[in-house]
Amino acid sequence: MIQKFFFTREFRRYPFFFLLLGSTLLLGTLGLVSISIVAGQVKTQLENNAHNLLTSDFVVSARRELFPEEQAKVSAILKDKNTYQVTDLYSMVSHPVKNQTRLVELRGVEGAYPFYGDITLQTGKFSTDKFYVSRDLSELWNIQIGDILQVGEIQLPVQGIVINDTSVGLRGFSLAPRAYIPLIKLTEAGLMKRGVTGGFARHFRLPGLSTEDLKKIKTEIYEEINDSAVRVSLPEDSSEQTGRVIHMISNFMALAALIGLVLSLVGIFYLYQSHLQARLKDLCLMNLFGLTKTTITSFILAQYTLIFFIVMILDLLIVIPGYKIFAPMISQSIGLDLGPSLDLMPVFSNLPFLFGLSLSILVPLLAGLLRTPMGMQLKSAKISLGRFRFYDFIPFLLLLWAFSWHLADSMKVGSLFFASLILVFVLSTIVVRGLQILLRKTTAHRGLLLPDLPTGLALKSLARSGHRLTLSFLSIALGATLISLILQLDRMIQNEFVWDKNKPGLFIFDIQEEQIDSFKAFALEKKAPLDAITPMIRARLIKVNDEKFEKKKSSYSMRSKEDDDDERVRNNGLNLTYRSYLTAAEKIVEGEPFPKEPRITDGPVYVSIEKRWSERSGIVIGDKVLFDIQGVELEGVVRNIREVKWTSFYPNFFVTLEPGMIEGAPKTYLAVLPTGTREGKLSFQREAAEKFPNISFIDVEELVSKISVLFDKSRKAIEIISYLSLLVGFVILYGLSHDQVYRRYYDIALMKSLGIPAMDLRRNLLIEFGSLFFVAMSMGLGLGWLIAQVLGREIFKLGLTIDWMRMFVPGVFLLTLCTLTILVSSWRIVEAKPRELLSQG
Amino acid sequence: MMTVKNLRKSFGEGSTRIEVLKGITLDVVKGETLALVGKSGSGKSTLLSLLAGLDRSDHGDIVVGEKNITGLSEKELTHFRAQEMGIVFQQFHLVSTLTALENVLLPLSILKRENAREKAEALLESVGLSHRAHHLPSELSGGESQRVAIARALSTSPSVLFADEPSGNLDEETGTKVMDLLFEMVKKTGTTMILVTHDPDLARRCSRTVHLEHGSLT
Ligand SMILES: Nc1ncnc2c1ncn2[C@@H]1O[C@H](COP(=O)(O)OP(=O)(O)O)[C@@H](O)[C@H]1O
Ligand SMILES: [Mg+2]
Repeated sequence: MIQKFFFTREFRRYPFFFLLLGSTLLLGTLGLVSISIVAGQVKTQLENNAHNLLTSDFVVSARRELFPEEQAKVSAILKDKNTYQVTDLYSMVSHPVKNQTRLVELRGVEGAYPFYGDITLQTGKFSTDKFYVSRDLSELWNIQIGDILQVGEIQLPVQGIVINDTSVGLRGFSLAPRAYIPLIKLTEAGLMKRGVTGGFARHFRLPGLSTEDLKKIKTEIYEEINDSAVRVSLPEDSSEQTGRVIHMISNFMALAALIGLVLSLVGIFYLYQSHLQARLKDLCLMNLFGLTKTTITSFILAQYTLIFFIVMILDLLIVIPGYKIFAPMISQSIGLDLGPSLDLMPVFSNLPFLFGLSLSILVPLLAGLLRTPMGMQLKSAKISLGRFRFYDFIPFLLLLWAFSWHLADSMKVGSLFFASLILVFVLSTIVVRGLQILLRKTTAHRGLLLPDLPTGLALKSLARSGHRLTLSFLSIALGATLISLILQLDRMIQNEFVWDKNKPGLFIFDIQEEQIDSFKAFALEKKAPLDAITPMIRARLIKVNDEKFEKKKSSYSMRSKEDDDDERVRNNGLNLTYRSYLTAAEKIVEGEPFPKEPRITDGPVYVSIEKRWSERSGIVIGDKVLFDIQGVELEGVVRNIREVKWTSFYPNFFVTLEPGMIEGAPKTYLAVLPTGTREGKLSFQREAAEKFPNISFIDVEELVSKISVLFDKSRKAIEIISYLSLLVGFVILYGLSHDQVYRRYYDIALMKSLGIPAMDLRRNLLIEFGSLFFVAMSMGLGLGWLIAQVLGREIFKLGLTIDWMRMFVPGVFLLTLCTLTILVSSWRIVEAKPRELLSQG
Repeated sequence: MMTVKNLRKSFGEGSTRIEVLKGITLDVVKGETLALVGKSGSGKSTLLSLLAGLDRSDHGDIVVGEKNITGLSEKELTHFRAQEMGIVFQQFHLVSTLTALENVLLPLSILKRENAREKAEALLESVGLSHRAHHLPSELSGGESQRVAIARALSTSPSVLFADEPSGNLDEETGTKVMDLLFEMVKKTGTTMILVTHDPDLARRCSRTVHLEHGSLT
């Protein structure tokens, strides 16, 4: 009988409530479930990709050959079973017939290379004892199989052309086109002289070892070989830029989806509160007939759990076929083959969180129910639910924190997100309470015509609605905050990935000083508009604040990729340029820009440094730096710190100097040829290579277009998730507005029976809720913007943006939506006959 | 002052249709107090809601003074109700966000009457609730609430006061006190009153009694 009451009667008696509850939960979880699935697939594929890029499980490498004792230590730890050596050297290669020479990355390989991934030839199968060139090089020189190339001291016939190489990936520039050569041929060619630098790597295949095992071995090797020149890499270290971007984007989508979930939980809390209040009389009666409060509560929980799992099943029923349809599309757009087999593991790993969150939002209400003196309630005219207390929300809050952390995959971002929500909560409460006190003070002993009846009644009602008002205000402010947050973050990401002018197609470098004019003339003649012609000067940083700039000593186990880059930066010196302006990809984040007018001074030159470089090197504004520019010392002082969008693929530098000081130094030039047709670019390249044989080109067109497509598509994905969350937000706000009016049912009917005209009643409601919505929404939209700026900085290193349209338009839209809801929902009540008041309420 | 002719009202449709009022004819004289008695469910509240213009009849006329209110538009009816009628409900029905004083002030404010505040304060005093003027309904007892409701109903000096079992939700002692107050106030102001009750004692205190049975007055 009781089971029947809770599981069938209830559903049948309140179909609308349960439908609304179910769909709110469904909408709120749908985004998260889909994101979990896609993100899981993406992660697996990125891991595969990382293996393909590295070609093995474990690599010990250095920029020099490993010393025999180092080799011995590595062998002792890893037992040389499945292993090969890979040696990368940059060397000039020439085409004797065509009389052309250029820099080529020679990759010397042996044995079973590659353990992971594929190297696809135009014809035939890859083998480590043959000589192959990449398609770039073959196209540039028009090489046919069988052509002879001069490599070092030997001549080799080209035995194949590599058309696809998974060890290259989307890594960004490699300095030169690649050629594969058997390892022994490198020695035969006389390239392995003592002291030669390049990449010397010993690869291992260690199947069956987990990432943790590999990390342990890594630490062990670092402890054994106490030389910072030796570096151990695991697949996860080789994650390429696009991989990181995909990762970042999927984290953002997870947050957007979480916003959807939080919105829906706010809605559920609200809905459930109304429902419980309405059902309270029946529950009190049940209590009277002997059902304990705990039993009642557990039945409610059981009922809710049932709904939750039905919703989860519905989620999967939507998402699984949806994935089957969309997977090929997603695969294509992010350049990763997601594969047809679906792994539901990520969904199940999020399930406890989802369930916990959905359940814990009811804790305050159920605690309130348990605190309700049920038996006594039946005697009084009005039955009301026991008050919930702040600490009832703690389980929900803790879970929310944990889940944000888990989803954002970063404690910082997750905590920031969580803290933002708390901020909205606290601020809303303060604002609404403050306004109420103010209103109460100003209206308390005044009449009802303030200045007219509808406004007066609205003000009085706002001043005296207490908890109910706080709750609505909070929900609206939170909804508006989250909506604004999504829109602003989306906007910021769009900003980040839009190319300001042209997309680069060809990166040109090593243009000598004496060539620059004739090269410009040549480009003009070829109708190829060169862009971003930038001088580049090689220098070394020798002193910082009069102290010798030393290598930083870092503990081996703590070594990161950054440290390695760092040391390279310190060892090899750096490239600088001089310019007074900032490129479109640059922005000063600290300090003063260079003076507009060139200065005449004997003092130190002004220096601008890139933000991350500053963080790594420890150099800050005001530091004195001493450069060695090809034998001449130059003193500088750091004037500002710049942020650089490296995704622009335009020439940018860690260090730039003010102009007018080092123009005389020996330099080369960089330039960019914007994207054009492939043929045009090739013919430009061929002719330029003939006329200016020392100039190098890197074709970034494919890379840039892949990345831009990736960003475009990711943006779409983000938009879809955002719209889903927005939809949840709208549904919640609609439900809330509707509920607000419904709670006023009796007051409205009563005022009508007392003779207030319908028009005035409507005006009263519009003023009351309009001002409530207006204040809550303005606050929410503003806070959302603020939070977006902070999160944007933390997640994406983005600068401040203000998009008024994205504040104003949703503001007006939401306000209109809610106000219309008020009008529509109240229409029936306002128009109804007030006689219901006479029936036994 | 109030003439009701052949008033009919039914609820529901088809097989569930019930005729609650089957042709009510009634004359109310100015200044009289009329008790409307009948069993629970006999249609007393329904009749009252029609007379007070809270609902529309299916058929028949209600003339108050010179006006046939069955022909008024919604807007006119609302205004007429505010001017000419006062209502006291069984469930008190105070506006929850207004204080006791403001509840009394409300009908006067609707009509934009002069010296509204003074009138409201005087009325509240006459029902003995000056000390509760600035309390919200949630802070008032049942008896206090109903006294506020009576003051509110009389605040505009209506030509007719409708009261639907005003003591029905109160304990006996409080109920008696509230009813004493109601009769006293009505007498003092000379207001015409139609009182719905099933209590014969209360009916006896009225100048006339009509019985509602099977949809007709006897
Ligand atoms: N809105 C309504 N819809 C359907 N039936 C109604 C409605 N209002 C009242 N009734 C029916 O009309 C009859 C008279 O009700 P009511 O006037 O409230 O009686 P009383 O006040 O004399 O107890 C009852 O049988 C009741 O069920
Ligand atoms: Mg009744």
